[in-house]
Amino acid sequence: MDELMSSEAAPLRRSAISLRGVVRPLAGPAVAVLIAIVVGALLLAAVGQNPLDVYVTLIKGGLVGWPNLSVALQLTTPLIFTGLAVAMSFRAGLWNIGAEGQMLMGALAAGIVGYAVSLPFYLHIPLCVIAAFLGGAAWAGIPALLRVYLGVNELVVCLMMNPIALLLTGYVSARALKAPGPTNKLPDILETAILPNFSLFSQLNAGIFIALACCVLVAFVNSATLRGFEWKMIGLNPRFAYYGGIDVRKSALTIFLLSGGIAGLAGAEQVLGVYKAYYDNFSPGYGFDGIAVAMLAKNSPIGVILAAFLFGALNGGSAVLQMMTGVSKYLVQVLQFIIVLVLAAQFSFRWRVARPWFTRRAQRRERGTRQPPLSESE
Amino acid sequence: MEAGVDLVAMTHIAKRFEALTAIHDASLTIRPGEIHALVGENGAGKTTLMNILYGLLPRDGGEIVLRGAAANFSSPAEAIAAGIGMVHQHFKLAPSFTVTENIILGAEPLRGFNRINRSDAERQTAELGARFGLDLDPRAVVGSLPVGLRQRVEILKALYRDAEILILDEPTAVLTPQETRELFATMRRLAESGRAIIFITHKLREVLAVSDRVSVMRLGRIISTEPNKNLTAERLASLMVGRSVLLRVSKAKAHPSEEKLLQVEGLTAIGDRGETAVDNLSIAVRAGEIVGLAGVQGNGQDELVQCIAGLRRPLSGAVAICGRAAARWEPADSRDAGLAYIPADRGRVGLSLASEVWENLSLGHLRSFSRGPILLTEKARRQASALIRKFDVRGAGEATLAKSLSGGNQQKVQLARELTRGARLVVAEQPSQGVDIGAIEAIHRILVDMRDQGRAVFVISADIDEIFSLSDRILVIYRGRIVADLAAGEADAETIGRFMGGLHDRPDSEAPEHGRTYVQ
Repeated sequence: MDELMSSEAAPLRRSAISLRGVVRPLAGPAVAVLIAIVVGALLLAAVGQNPLDVYVTLIKGGLVGWPNLSVALQLTTPLIFTGLAVAMSFRAGLWNIGAEGQMLMGALAAGIVGYAVSLPFYLHIPLCVIAAFLGGAAWAGIPALLRVYLGVNELVVCLMMNPIALLLTGYVSARALKAPGPTNKLPDILETAILPNFSLFSQLNAGIFIALACCVLVAFVNSATLRGFEWKMIGLNPRFAYYGGIDVRKSALTIFLLSGGIAGLAGAEQVLGVYKAYYDNFSPGYGFDGIAVAMLAKNSPIGVILAAFLFGALNGGSAVLQMMTGVSKYLVQVLQFIIVLVLAAQFSFRWRVARPWFTRRAQRRERGTRQPPLSESE
Repeated sequence: MEAGVDLVAMTHIAKRFEALTAIHDASLTIRPGEIHALVGENGAGKTTLMNILYGLLPRDGGEIVLRGAAANFSSPAEAIAAGIGMVHQHFKLAPSFTVTENIILGAEPLRGFNRINRSDAERQTAELGARFGLDLDPRAVVGSLPVGLRQRVEILKALYRDAEILILDEPTAVLTPQETRELFATMRRLAESGRAIIFITHKLREVLAVSDRVSVMRLGRIISTEPNKNLTAERLASLMVGRSVLLRVSKAKAHPSEEKLLQVEGLTAIGDRGETAVDNLSIAVRAGEIVGLAGVQGNGQDELVQCIAGLRRPLSGAVAICGRAAARWEPADSRDAGLAYIPADRGRVGLSLASEVWENLSLGHLRSFSRGPILLTEKARRQASALIRKFDVRGAGEATLAKSLSGGNQQKVQLARELTRGARLVVAEQPSQGVDIGAIEAIHRILVDMRDQGRAVFVISADIDEIFSLSDRILVIYRGRIVADLAAGEADAETIGRFMGGLHDRPDSEAPEHGRTYVQ
């Protein structure tokens, strides 16, 4: 998608090249989804279901009719935020896989500001959103500082920060600031902090517009600004970026904080728009699914919207599927895992889709040699 | 060596990589007991042709006849069994294994219960080494050996498998002049024992020094095979590039001013392994002169340059760039001060290979391609296509990925980026490494032009020819210190070579290269 945008801004390129620029980046994800569908069909056939029927039900349940579609969009919204957060850091070569924890911290911050502060709605909602952003950014700041100043692997730290966030938010919502009553939650947020809902059938709310706006903004930053260019260079070759005069440390910190902040916004949307209070352990793993979304989107912000919608619709459809046919909703998780698996394989093997079979066989023989064509020296 | 039938005959070999034809029509015959040099520019297809012979690559056309019988190897294992050995440019050794273990790996002598017969293996290794004058301690761990000795391990590995045809791919690229001489003596002995050596290189002096016959490859074709005695360096060079080239760039006498654009004072820096890589070193480069820094790789030149460019923190001392002095530089600051730095490591430092050419050309000049926070992509692309034309970067548009360019053209991209900013100090590290002769000439021309415009040029190279061709003044670095500072006119290659080998401070008979630690 990135390529698509930059090629539109470049009349220097021929149309044939920009067509390839569109097809190429889409080929990998398309293959991943296709393989998932095929493997899923085999699984379904193995348990005696008609794959076609199941898929039709799944698609209908996910997309057809406003009730189904609004559920799908509600489930899409947090994935856009977390997918965008992960995509942004991945693009710069930083492995922020802590979106889950950052989202929880953002949600907690929004939940507290939502009930503890009294303001008119036009100030209250923005304040809650900003608090969520800062909450997520602060949580991302820990792995970021450790990475930038001490060289600690951010992957490991991020992974560990997720359960810490879960336990910390659990402590706050089940003990420290627990609302009276049997449920582990914070007090309900005030009317003035609620993001307007616009569906009778789901908790779809105005947060989706914030999500879309974030994607557009990041897409703009990526493709049209100096920072976006620098971040891409850091991701592709940090030593080259440093040699070229980019302040790699500062950029890495900035990216990590922004990424964490965006993940925090997912929490704001959940608290202000869906649950209207911070509930302990509310997330089914939106932060982790964000990693899959970013991979499927190949780190493109616009791609994130599409990938998040695919996952949202699949999850929405899975509930309907289970009701109508008795096929477990976990089928959808299986599909998601296969997609991630194939994408991960592509990541290391550089899938070559557009190549006809007969040349690919020769290719395979050559690949074993690990000799790039014509490389004579270096 | 003229007598006898051909050991190998490759006829009309063709090889395609997708759209690209790497080898059009190559025919080559190898006789027993000869050293056969295969020369050509980078990308001419030398290594590809040898990989086909060695069974690494399938061919798309042509025939290979080995000792009169058709040979169709689909893997190196089959080629090895047929008596072909290959020593690759990048050694394929297990560094944590001993010499013996590396040599027998995959062909271990066994005793009862499938146990490796170590004593037998070590005895065989020692015998083999002694027979060909390749002295090696069979129990030495390979990772602790200098490069020259690792190469011996590779050669012994092939001999242990009874290689009758030994392919050496750019074997001298990593060696000191002394080690090179020893290698040549070994090659000579092997040839006298009846084996055939195929010697891939692009260093003309070596070709003339050691080979019996020379085949020249150009653009995927073998264009000539001649006995060495008919050839001169000039003729070889023109065969390789298809036109006469000047091996030495023509330049007027330097007129350096007194202004020192690079001044390094008492610099000490620690290398990656904790050793003192740069040892209280001081140098100065004046405006209007080219200073060449010669030295065997791993004697501190990398660390010195990194300190100048701001990529490494020195322990003590100071660097002044265009009059601005600082103990610690950041890359952004040294650029601002007027440094243009062309790194040796194009792939990892000097370019982003996965990025497009215009992106590679823009980094470091981003200020001129921006309005506020906005990147002026269009302007950067236009500038890039202008630079591509100006520096004659072949096969590139501004949107081509850098990794699809040849080494020489990648180097031109680096030069185009660094030398068009009006920087007054140019530091060029191995400027013609992995670059073909035609491009070397162009690159040297550019550097001389820089000098003539009154800039200071500091060239770091392991290639003595390059140092001689370019420099007005030659410095030699050995173990982190400058051990010689000579005007270009008063130095000859032998003198410089002795300084590079550290012979100046060791009058005794100790062979220097065995006691020295190397960095690859």
